[in-house]
Amino acid sequence: MISKFDYYKADSLEKAVGFLSEKPGTKVLAGGTDLMILLRRNKETCRHLLDIKGIPEANVLSFTPGEGLFIGAAITVNEICEDNGIREKYAALSEAADSLASYQIRNRATLVGNICNASPGADLAAPLLVYNGKVHISSKEGNRVVELKDFFTGVKKTVLKENELVVGISIPDVEPGDSSVYLRKSRIKGHDLCNVGLALRLTAERELLLAIAAVATTPIRLTELEASIKEKEITPELAEWLGDEIRKYMNPRRNSIRSSPEYRLHIAGVLAKKGLLNLLEKGAN
Amino acid sequence: MEKREYRHIGKPLDRAEALEKVTGRATYVHDMELPGMLYGKSLHSPYARARIVSIDTSDAKALPGVKAVLTGEDTSHLIGLYMIDKRIIASGITRYQGEVVAAVAAIDEDTAEKAISLIKVEYEKLPAVLNIDDALEAKILVHEDINELEYLKGVFFPQPDSNIASWNKTITGDVEKAFLESDFVIESEMYLPAAAHTPIETHVAIAEVNPYSDKIKIWSSAQSPFAIRQLMAKSFGIPEGEIQVIVPYVGGAFGGKAGVHLEPLAALLSKACKGRPVKVQATREEEFNQLPSRAGMRSKIKTGVTKDGKITGFKAYYDWDSGAYADYGVNVGKTAIYSGAGAYEIPNVEIHSRTLYTNKVFSTAYRGFGHLETHWAIERQMDIVAQKIGMDPYEFRMKNILEPGKHTISGEIISESTGSPGDCLTAVAKAINWTGYQSEEERKAQMKTGKVRGKGIALLQKAPAMPTSTTTSAIIQMDGDGNAKVLIGAIDMGQGANTAMRQIAAEALDLPIEKVEVVWEADTHKNPYDWQTVASKFTYMGGNAVIRAAEDAILQMKKVAAQVFRCEADKLEHKDGYIYHVHHMEKRLPYGKLARGYAYENGNAIGGVVIGRGTYIADGLTNLDAETGQGLPALVWTYGAHGIDLEVDIETGDIHIFKIASAFDVGQVINRKVIEGQIIGGVLQGLGSALFEGMIFNQEGKLMNPSFTDYKIPTAMDIPDEMVPICIENPQFDGPFGARGVAEHPMISVPSVVGNALYDALGINFYELPLSPENVALAIVNNKKED
Amino acid sequence: MCNHHENKNCFEYVDSQMPRVFLELVVNGEKVQELIDPTMTLLNFLRINLKLFGTKEGCGEGECGACTIIMNNRTVNSCLVLAIEAQDADILTVEGLSKDGELSVLQQEFIKYDALQCGFCTPGMLMSARALLDRNPDPTTEEVKEGIAGNFCRCTGYQTIVDAILSAAKREREELR
Repeated sequence: MISKFDYYKADSLEKAVGFLSEKPGTKVLAGGTDLMILLRRNKETCRHLLDIKGIPEANVLSFTPGEGLFIGAAITVNEICEDNGIREKYAALSEAADSLASYQIRNRATLVGNICNASPGADLAAPLLVYNGKVHISSKEGNRVVELKDFFTGVKKTVLKENELVVGISIPDVEPGDSSVYLRKSRIKGHDLCNVGLALRLTAERELLLAIAAVATTPIRLTELEASIKEKEITPELAEWLGDEIRKYMNPRRNSIRSSPEYRLHIAGVLAKKGLLNLLEKGAN
Repeated sequence: MEKREYRHIGKPLDRAEALEKVTGRATYVHDMELPGMLYGKSLHSPYARARIVSIDTSDAKALPGVKAVLTGEDTSHLIGLYMIDKRIIASGITRYQGEVVAAVAAIDEDTAEKAISLIKVEYEKLPAVLNIDDALEAKILVHEDINELEYLKGVFFPQPDSNIASWNKTITGDVEKAFLESDFVIESEMYLPAAAHTPIETHVAIAEVNPYSDKIKIWSSAQSPFAIRQLMAKSFGIPEGEIQVIVPYVGGAFGGKAGVHLEPLAALLSKACKGRPVKVQATREEEFNQLPSRAGMRSKIKTGVTKDGKITGFKAYYDWDSGAYADYGVNVGKTAIYSGAGAYEIPNVEIHSRTLYTNKVFSTAYRGFGHLETHWAIERQMDIVAQKIGMDPYEFRMKNILEPGKHTISGEIISESTGSPGDCLTAVAKAINWTGYQSEEERKAQMKTGKVRGKGIALLQKAPAMPTSTTTSAIIQMDGDGNAKVLIGAIDMGQGANTAMRQIAAEALDLPIEKVEVVWEADTHKNPYDWQTVASKFTYMGGNAVIRAAEDAILQMKKVAAQVFRCEADKLEHKDGYIYHVHHMEKRLPYGKLARGYAYENGNAIGGVVIGRGTYIADGLTNLDAETGQGLPALVWTYGAHGIDLEVDIETGDIHIFKIASAFDVGQVINRKVIEGQIIGGVLQGLGSALFEGMIFNQEGKLMNPSFTDYKIPTAMDIPDEMVPICIENPQFDGPFGARGVAEHPMISVPSVVGNALYDALGINFYELPLSPENVALAIVNNKKED
Repeated sequence: MCNHHENKNCFEYVDSQMPRVFLELVVNGEKVQELIDPTMTLLNFLRINLKLFGTKEGCGEGECGACTIIMNNRTVNSCLVLAIEAQDADILTVEGLSKDGELSVLQQEFIKYDALQCGFCTPGMLMSARALLDRNPDPTTEEVKEGIAGNFCRCTGYQTIVDAILSAAKREREELR
C-alpha cells in the first residue's frame, strides 16, 4: 500500500458529510473488505480515510411495520444473517447475506458497502432490487433518495458524487404471503464470488419479481421478463418455461475469467427454474 | 517378512513440534526479524516477452530509507539446476510476465514498495511464445542462446535452435508393429493447465553477506538447504562451505520451495547494502506470478490392445508448457519416460517427453513431479480403452498390472519387495463396491432425477526422481541422561520427517520416545548432508541412515561396555536404554554412562564421546540410455490407487463426492496419524487440480488469476463426505522396517479417478482439466445436443 | 541527508506532517497503548509492534484466513482491519488461547487429532474454531466446516481439523457440567 492517509472517525452525520466536502481525496471506510484490498493493490489511493462506523444513523437496523426495513451503512452482513426478523420477511436478503464471502469477512463487510462497491456480481444487490430498495444519500448540500434500480451506472460505478455518503438502504414492508429466495452458483462450495446470483420474489398478489447479478455490467432487475410473466399463472410448468425464457433477457460479457457467457446463461436458467419451484414449495407449506 | 509389532513403529505418535505450532511459538522465516534487517521488493515485467530499453532508478535511489536499488546491469550471475539459463534479475530481455527486472532494499516494506513504484522502465514489447504449438513451431525462440547454454549432459537433451529444453525418450520393442498387430488402436489427446502450489506461507528468504569475507548466511522457507548452498556457490563462484543455509519452520512447500528461488536476490541486495541482512518475502500475487508453478501439459497417447485386453503397445507424446526457465521442469519431463505408461507391463513402448520453453511463469517441482500430469492421461486412457473393448476397467487394469517377475518399461524387474499395485487397486475397488460401469439404461433412469451417481477407479505409481548417486546422512548424539538427539539434513515442512525419524531412531535405539529428539531446524553448517527434501524419498533413505546411525552408536557403546564387562562385544545386546550381557544380565550399563566415555573407579577412562553416524546412498541405479530409455532409475516404487463414488448434478455440473478411498503400498506404516494426514491432504490437493484449479493466461501471456479471488483452492466446505486412507503393507525389504515413501503419491491419479467416475455417471469422456461445474454442465448440454 | 523541505521526491507521509495516532486496546487480556501510523493494519500492529508473531499473513486480502483473530468476540481477517479501527477493542490472538502454560482443550485436541502439518494456518484456524464453539457449543459436522471455511489449509485436507474441533466441543461441553 503506497497511500499515506490520515484517519478520521466521524461521530455524527453532519461531521461526516462536512469532512467529505472539505477534504478532497477522501475515501469512505465502512467494513474495509473492498477498500483495503484496493488500497493494498494500489488500485485506489487516498489522502484521508473517513470512518463512518461511529455515525448513529449508520448503525441503525430497524423494522417499522407498514414502512419497512432500514439498514444503516455500518450494519455488517453477519448482523443481517443473524436477524431472524429479516429472515422471516425478506428471505432472499438473508440467503444472499449467508452466501457472501467467508464468516470473517461477513463480520466486517457491510451491506451498504457491497452496494456502493457496485460490482456487477454484488450478491446483496439482487434481493434489494426485487424488494425495491431505496438508497438514502446525504451530503453537505442535503439529502436525496435514489431508487436502487437507478443507483448502479456501470461496472463499479454509481450515481454517488464525490462528496456524497450513503447513510443507509431501505426496503418497504411486505404483505403476509410474500416470499422470496436467493440462489447463486459459484466455482467452489467454499467462499467465492458468484457466477450468477438470482433473487426471485413472489408477492402476496402472486406477482413474480426477479433480479440477477453477474450477467451484465450491473446487477439488474428483469422488468421486461416480469412484464411477460404478469398474465401467466404461477405453476411448476411455468418454472420450466422460465428456465429457458430468462436467458433471452441477458447478455453476459465474453472476457471474464470467472465464467463463460454460455455457462452464465445456462445456469441463470437452471437457477430460475429451481428458484420458482422452491417458492411454490414454500408457498404450499 | 512376517508382520511385527513394534515399540514405536506404526504408532500414532503426536508430533513433538505440535506444541509450538498450536501456541503460535513456531518461528517461520515469515516471522523473523534480525538486527539491522532491511526489506527487499521487486519490480516485475508486465509483458510475456520484451526488451528492456531503459531503466531509470534515480528517483527510487533518492527516496529516504532506500539502501540499494539493483537492476540486471548489477549482476551477471546465472542460476539453474539442470540448465543454467536464468539470471537473478533480467537484463536485456524479459521472458515472462512477472519476471524480476529490478529490486530494492529499504528500511521497511512500505518504503521499499514506494521505491519500486518510482522505478521507470521502458520496454519494447516483443511477440511471444504462448502455447505448446508455438513452442514446437519455434518461429520465436524463448532462449535465443539455447545452443550455448550450460546443462547436465547425458541426462537432458536440449534441441538446437528450438524451444525444446529437453527431449527425453524411451523406445523399446517395436510399437508400430505392435499397433499393426493389435485388434484395437485407440488414440486420445488430453490436456491440463498449469497449477499453483499455494503454500500458505509464501516464499521468503533472508540473506546476510559478510562484506569482509563474502561469506553468505541465509535463512529460507525452503525444502533443500544443501541444494541452495550448492547452487548459489556455483552461481556466485564461491566454495560451498562459505555459504550457510538455515531452515526453521516452513509454512508449506509442495515442491515449490524445493530449489533456489529468492535467496540469490536477497544475497545480492545484502551485498549492495554493505552486508545488512535483507528479507525478501513474496506477496501472494508474486507467489502466483513470479514464483514458479506446475507446468501445463498436453498428452497424445496411442494404445494398442488385443480384444481380450492385453496391451501390446503404448506410444505417447508428452509436451510440457514449462515456462520461461528450465528449473526442475526438465527433470519433471524426464520422469515421464520411465513412469509415463503407468503401473503396467507393456512390451512395446515409445514415449517422447518434451519440456518446452514458453514465455510464461516457469514451472518447477510440484507434489507428484509430473506424475499427476501424466497419470491424468494414462489413467483416463485406460478407461477409454476398456470402454472401447467392452471390458471392465478393473479387470483390464488387473490383466496388465505389474507383478513380481514382470518388467517396467525401462527394463526393471519387479520383485516381491517392490510392492503390489494389484493389492492397492483391489482394495479401493472393494472400498467403493465397484461392480463395473453402469449401463446406459441405468444412466438414463438416473438422469431423470437430475442427479447421476458414478464410480471410478485409477491406479498410480511413483519412484523418487533423483540423481543415481543421491545420498543422505544422520548423526545421533547422546547426553549424560542417555537422551538421544538426532540430526538429519532433511527438513520437516509438515510432512512429518522429524516425527518419522524420531520413531525410527527410538525403535533402533530401543529407547522410550521421550528420550529421543530430532533436532528442529536444519543448518548446513551443523546438520549432516541430505540432497533435498523432495521425491518422497526421505522416509526410506533418511530412515535407513538413522538406523545405521543408531547401530553405529550402539556399536560404539558396546565396544566400551565389552571392555568394562571383560567380554566380547558380540555378547552384548541393547534394550530399553541399556547395554547388557545376554547371559549375565546384571552386567549392564545405561547409555548415559557410556555417552561420554567410561570412567573406572580408579579414574582410568576409556571410550569417548559417542557420536552415531549413518549414511545411505542410492545403490544400483543407472542413468537411462539416451535413445531407448532403458536403465534403473527407480530407487523405490510406491504404488497406489483411488476409488471414488460421486454424484453429478446434471444441471449445474456440481460434483458431490460421497467417498474417495485411496490405497498405497507403503510397506510399513511408521506413524499412522502422519501417513493418513499425508494421504488425506494429498487427495484434497489432487481434487483441487481435478475440480477447479488452473492458471489462466490471456492472449498476451499475462496471468489473469494471481490471487485467491480467482485461483480457487479447496476449503473445508469442498471436502468429500468421506476420505478413506488405506495403507497396504507389503514390506520393502531394504526399507527402514520395510517402509516406503508416500508423500506425493496421494495427489496422483485423483483427477483421473474423477474423470473416470464422470464417464460412469454421464457416459461422457473428459479430456481436459479442470472438471469444473462449468465444464461438466456445458459438456452435458453439448452432449444432449448431439443426441 | 535529505532536506525534506526541498526534495520533491520525499516520502509523502513525512512531508504531509500527518500525525501518528494514539491507539489503546486490550490484547490477550493486557492493556496496550501505542502511537501508530494510521495506515498500519491490525495484523502488522500485532506482529511488528506487539511481537505477537503467531498470527500470519498468508495473502493480505482477506481470502486465506491465516490472519484471523477475535476482535470484540467476532473473528476478523486482521489484514483488512486498520489498527486504529481497533480503538478500545478487545483482541484475542492464538497467544491468548492458553493460560499459565496450560494448553486449552482446543489446542490439545488439535495435537491429538493431528489437525496440523506445517502449522502455518493453525493460529488462524484455532481462532475460527474458538469463535465457532463460543457461538455454537454443539455444532454438527456441516456447521464446523462452515465455521472454518474462511481458513485455508493446504496440508491436512481439513478432515482432522473437523474431527479435532468436534472432539474439543464434546470435551468442553462435558467440562462445563
